[in-house]
Amino acid sequence: MVDLPPDPIQMTIAMITSPLFLKVAIFPGLTSIGIIAAILTWLDRKITARVQLRIGPQYVSPFGGILQSFADLIKLAFKELIIPEKADRFFFILAPVFGLVLGAGLIALIPFSPETLISNVEVGLPVFLAFVTLSPTLVLLAGWSANSKYPFIGGLRSLFQQTGYEIPLWLSSIGVVMLAGSFNLTKIVQAQSTGWFILPQLLGAIIFLVTSVAEQERIPFDLPEAEPEIIMGWQAEYPGFLFLAAQGAGFVKLYAFSALFATIYLGGYLGPGPQFLGLFWSLFKTTIMIVLVILLRGAFGRVRLDQLLKYGWTLLLGLAIINIAITYFLIEGFPAI
Amino acid sequence: MTDPAFLVVAAVTIIGAIMAIEARDLVYGAAALGISFLGIAGLFILLDATYVAAFQISVYIGAVVVLILFTVMLVGPAKGEAPMEHKRASLFAAVLVSMFLGIGGSLASANAFPGVEVCGSGCDLQILSQTLLNNYGTQLELLSFVLVAAVIGALTLAKTEKA
Amino acid sequence: MEPLSSFFAVSIILLGIGIYGMTTKRSAIRILFSVELVYNAANLNIIAFSRLRNPPIITGQVIVLFSISLAAMEAAVGLAIIILAFRINADIDLRKLTKLKG
Repeated sequence: MVDLPPDPIQMTIAMITSPLFLKVAIFPGLTSIGIIAAILTWLDRKITARVQLRIGPQYVSPFGGILQSFADLIKLAFKELIIPEKADRFFFILAPVFGLVLGAGLIALIPFSPETLISNVEVGLPVFLAFVTLSPTLVLLAGWSANSKYPFIGGLRSLFQQTGYEIPLWLSSIGVVMLAGSFNLTKIVQAQSTGWFILPQLLGAIIFLVTSVAEQERIPFDLPEAEPEIIMGWQAEYPGFLFLAAQGAGFVKLYAFSALFATIYLGGYLGPGPQFLGLFWSLFKTTIMIVLVILLRGAFGRVRLDQLLKYGWTLLLGLAIINIAITYFLIEGFPAI
Repeated sequence: MTDPAFLVVAAVTIIGAIMAIEARDLVYGAAALGISFLGIAGLFILLDATYVAAFQISVYIGAVVVLILFTVMLVGPAKGEAPMEHKRASLFAAVLVSMFLGIGGSLASANAFPGVEVCGSGCDLQILSQTLLNNYGTQLELLSFVLVAAVIGALTLAKTEKA
Repeated sequence: MEPLSSFFAVSIILLGIGIYGMTTKRSAIRILFSVELVYNAANLNIIAFSRLRNPPIITGQVIVLFSISLAAMEAAVGLAIIILAFRINADIDLRKLTKLKG
């Protein structure tokens, strides 16, 4: 029998309804990342406002202005793109867009539940952290390409900050790997069925939280965006849609880091109740971490550059190594000395 | 030569390398070098070495490319300056490169190296870590000494003389 | 899995591009690019050979882990030297950096 060539319409329909495509396009993929980033923008503004005894966005919808960020999205999408004349167009446009792609790649690695996992790499945690190390390059290129003083200074500050805090980030997550015996994020979640890792790894969790807030350039580590000094830092020259991409990338990173914290320290999709509630539990824990990080914004002042570099390279690094030693003794027991 | 993933990744690597050398602006060259390193990481993944690929991305692209970009921004020609011309060794270099390309191209079609197996337990991450700690532990310690030497060397070179 | 000859071909082509860059370019930073390309060609070669031999062994990955670290250190020290040379001579054209004094 001669094989007929496959019907292109049937092939397209088969591809669209395949589980991988649905996962990538809808949840936890691109559409849900876009909607969650928009909601996180609103959540950030609302919670910060309440902490500062203001009201925050309130006009755009009857429920506390939750559609404010969608209104901003529509406004920014239609604004005229004014790119500075001497700016380097290629990197100027590409850097924030790549930041968004990076954020989406980070989300793809996280197991929200066993069924909605996009990629189950055996070395999930190093790949996640390796993608995180790509972002200082993008921010440096973005800051330089604007060909202006303040964005470049902001880009350099961001480079120092993010590069300096990568090593404590890696080291503090090694404790989790030692306890779970694997780099695979699904196996790390499953190893927490006897107890969440936040208890034996309290020091490591705190270091991870601090360094991940520093990696996302959120307050109190927002020196690269210091508003009174350098006017949004490396994002200063970004118009309309590119500004949206840069801010959106920041919030996607917030989502990704909070989800990673929930996965490796808070037990991911494990929780009381039947198996199919796993997705609800992992999203719930992620939301708790997101709210915690947003609350940090209202609570702390800005860290100075020399304080930031000093504490990143000396204090946090030393504490992370002590955490590894503590974990070793927890695993082996004290006679192992 | 029938694996499309390999062809795409190898093409990205080689085109990135060519653009890194030939780009007019050094910043574009550094970015193309970064893309080439990403291609190399992809080739590592195709060869079942995913941990080494993550290491390559975080060390090469995350640190070396950033260092190069930083240096280019400080030291390179100002934007829009004319690029430097070639040295007179161009003819020799062109002959050498065509020799290399010829060897490479002829090898790609020959079946000079037989025998491909599924990697199985030989490429496991556990075997990697056990080998690294048991058989190469001394070398790891020596590597940390070399790292200290490199840091001290770079700091000494970068120190400015107090006037 | 691609035959070993394909990976070896890619490695040889990268080596050729790296040597071409080293011999032809005048800017010190371009030569650093070429050196990094040669490092990567060698790493790719080692991993390809260790994976695609019969039976596969893990030693190639161990060697490449060391190689990547050493290459990064060498790039850092090399860039420090370039910055220092620029501070003294205000130029990084290798044809002009002919005096050892400085």
